[in-house]
Amino acid sequence: MNPLIMIFVPIVLSGLLVLFFEKENMFAKYIALAWFTFMLMFSINLLDQLPSTGYLDIGQFLSVEKFGFVLSLQVDHLSVIMLILTSVLLLLVTLSSWTIKGSVGYFSLLILFAGPITGVFMSTNLIWFFIFWELTLVPMYFLVGVWGGERRIYAAVKFFLYTHVASMFILLAFFLIYKEAGTFDMTLVKEAMLVSPVLIWWLLFIGFAVKMPIFPFHTWLPDAHVQAPAPISVLLAGVLLKMGAYAMIRMVILMMPEHSAEFSWVLLVLGLITLFYAGFMALYETHLKKMVAYSSISHMGLVTVAIGTVSYSGLSSAVYEMIGHALIISPLFLIAGFLHHRTGSWYMKDMGGLMQKAPYLSAIFVLAGLAALGLPGTMGFVGELTILIASIESFGMGLIVVALGSMLGAGYIIWTFRRVVYAEKSALVDKSDFSMNKVEFFALILFAFAIVLFGLFPSILFDTINTAFVSLSTSGGAL
Amino acid sequence: MISAFSILFVASLLSLLLHRTPWLKVFSLFSLIVSMFWSSSSVGLVGFETTEFSTLFITVLQIVLIALVLHEKNDTTITQILFIGASSILLLQSSTLLSFIISFESLSIISIVLVSHITNEEEAEGAVKMFIASAIATGILLLGVVFYLMGGGVLESGIKSASTPFATIGLFVMLFGVFYKLTIVPMHSWAVDAYALVRHSHAAILTGVAKTVVAVATFKFFALFLAEQISFSLPLLAILAVVTMALGNFLALFQKNISRILAYSSIAHAGYMLLAFVAVKSEYASTGILYMAIAYIFMQTAVFLALDTLRKKYNIQTLDELKGLAKKERLLAFFFTVQLFSLAGIPLLAGFLAKVVVFYAVVDAGLWYVALIALLNSALSVGYYAWIVKHIYFDKADNSNSKKVTIDSEKLLRVSQTILLVGTLYFGVFASVIFQV
Repeated sequence: MNPLIMIFVPIVLSGLLVLFFEKENMFAKYIALAWFTFMLMFSINLLDQLPSTGYLDIGQFLSVEKFGFVLSLQVDHLSVIMLILTSVLLLLVTLSSWTIKGSVGYFSLLILFAGPITGVFMSTNLIWFFIFWELTLVPMYFLVGVWGGERRIYAAVKFFLYTHVASMFILLAFFLIYKEAGTFDMTLVKEAMLVSPVLIWWLLFIGFAVKMPIFPFHTWLPDAHVQAPAPISVLLAGVLLKMGAYAMIRMVILMMPEHSAEFSWVLLVLGLITLFYAGFMALYETHLKKMVAYSSISHMGLVTVAIGTVSYSGLSSAVYEMIGHALIISPLFLIAGFLHHRTGSWYMKDMGGLMQKAPYLSAIFVLAGLAALGLPGTMGFVGELTILIASIESFGMGLIVVALGSMLGAGYIIWTFRRVVYAEKSALVDKSDFSMNKVEFFALILFAFAIVLFGLFPSILFDTINTAFVSLSTSGGAL
Repeated sequence: MISAFSILFVASLLSLLLHRTPWLKVFSLFSLIVSMFWSSSSVGLVGFETTEFSTLFITVLQIVLIALVLHEKNDTTITQILFIGASSILLLQSSTLLSFIISFESLSIISIVLVSHITNEEEAEGAVKMFIASAIATGILLLGVVFYLMGGGVLESGIKSASTPFATIGLFVMLFGVFYKLTIVPMHSWAVDAYALVRHSHAAILTGVAKTVVAVATFKFFALFLAEQISFSLPLLAILAVVTMALGNFLALFQKNISRILAYSSIAHAGYMLLAFVAVKSEYASTGILYMAIAYIFMQTAVFLALDTLRKKYNIQTLDELKGLAKKERLLAFFFTVQLFSLAGIPLLAGFLAKVVVFYAVVDAGLWYVALIALLNSALSVGYYAWIVKHIYFDKADNSNSKKVTIDSEKLLRVSQTILLVGTLYFGVFASVIFQV
């Protein structure tokens, strides 16, 4: 099967849906569901075909010899893991937005998003990578701007501009790479570049740091997260931020290992600052969704520290934590959005006593929260523990402070439980109706199931993730 | 002698006979389509030659002219579109100084005739500004020619090398005369009013077609000379380019009137095109200007034509009046948005790849900081394009002004927009056609 189908069909399909369907059409969500299922099957099929090391070449298209501008699609374990994660999240997001208004526009934008995001993880040509990278902004801009909260327009435009400016640094870095290496193929750049200017490393680092986001480039995220509709927050946290981390691993660490080793302290310091700064902000927030958003940033700080180790175990744990974070933060966002939808308030003080009104929902909320703070038996524990070990291995015992980050997490999560789930029943909660659409509740259950499953059996994931970095382990852990 | 030029020239004369008949549009379209088969043929006069470069651009030009004719309802304008096609082909194929000046002037004159179709005071203001600027541009151009000739240059060949300082000065003066047409800062101030005030379909021809043709032809004509004078031309043009795009983008941010935003964006794009002149030493410069021109001719023509339709139908002029357009005009809003995103440099659209090639040419010439400024400018420009899109899609319509004038032949407008959209999409994905040149 021609892999271009996976990229360009959704783009065309979404255009057709918007132009030829009426505003509301119940088939839109089934079309989305069908496409994302197909995407998941495609990704799993890719995983089967992968060679034990290196890339699986799935085709070269639209070649322009003179400029090295070829849509070359190659995948390795890392990209296939990200593809599977993305398609699973898209499926769950579709289920979670089962009752959304303006369904045709919404689901066609989701389908539109599926095209370029597949391209991001499959393309090994830097320019095409950039094309898909930027194109993901367009559906997100509309999804936040049309379906978002009160200050959606501010958030959408800020998100679009902020990340677009950052992307310009990435594009300039790609230009410089082509000038030095004479190729846009990211699998060849490392060998082809005789001298790699430090400038390229910094440009790439800043560009991807905005997307991850790393302090001090994170300011677009709380706005976008809070204003986006809950399922779109899931996509932002679960896919867009992961895209940044993926690019950071692939293009900063693996493509320029010498500079990365030299500047690993930058990643380490900024990662720790992100971890603690966002943690304290989460502790301070009384706005439920903002608290979740800061907790999400805090976890990305943890991922940054893990990436900063530039080692086999560090990168493996970073990818595990990325998946864990995507699965853990998603139900928190969904529940926060749902509570706002039903109570009309964002503030924790208005939501006391949820346990008495909606016990099942609260149970999932508590489970996801405990996973976020790293309770053993959940994905959060495995992720945080492996990152702690990997960073101590690389940077010494001082990195025990990473554990403090988890403690901070325990602080804001448990305090949130105290205020939201277990507090005395507030009047607002008392008069609100918390009956949830069955499909949307099913999506939450799936999230909870995955958190526990991969928490108890992390080897399912680690087997695949480790293969992604196996070339590092053979060289003794160093790059 | 049959060539694209002669077909369009004869057609524009014959079309005068068909005014006020329903056959005019059909005849014009027919002649444009026929001329496409001869787009690689030379004018057939001394001083004109064809290259693959000019042939590709002439083909694109003819496609855009078809879209323009489909959109246009005014008989005079249709004749003028054909004539503009003919003189653009002249300019693109000119290879000697004499033929360059003559075809440049014929394009200038026909542009002035075009805007002198005046129906109200605003259009008169725009037309007069345009006329004065054109006159000055012509004057400066001729002054430069005279200097060049006095310095030992000849009219009967292209510009090879300026032997004396006098000739060099003459060539730079000529270049500045041309920059008036290209709206390079500080020769830009006429352009905003002219583009914003004249009829939008005329503005589409002026900024979309005429300006791009001049840019491509000038690059082709002056490239060797600029490469030779690189030590002087590079800093000069780099500063002009940076100032042009920065000013265009910054001022566009503060406009309330859509046509003025687009006029400033046109100035900013002139800055991007000038970057190819800066990077003339790079092998990608000529591809860059060609790509930028092809992308620009599609997207700029399309946005102004869409604006023309909006103006006629709803009398939309300001951003506020654009609110809620997506609900009223789903298809037109879609066309408009895609072309705006292309102007903003959003990927998979021609505008993005054009910028990539031009900016890479700058990096290739060793000026990565100029490329960085250009990239940040491009990011800045997203500010106002996304802001227009915000009004179209995110805001709810004010009910106060929902006047709607029904206009006939709306299907043709859609076909015209579709042609331009296909162009933008095609060159956003398939770059090889342009790189082969």
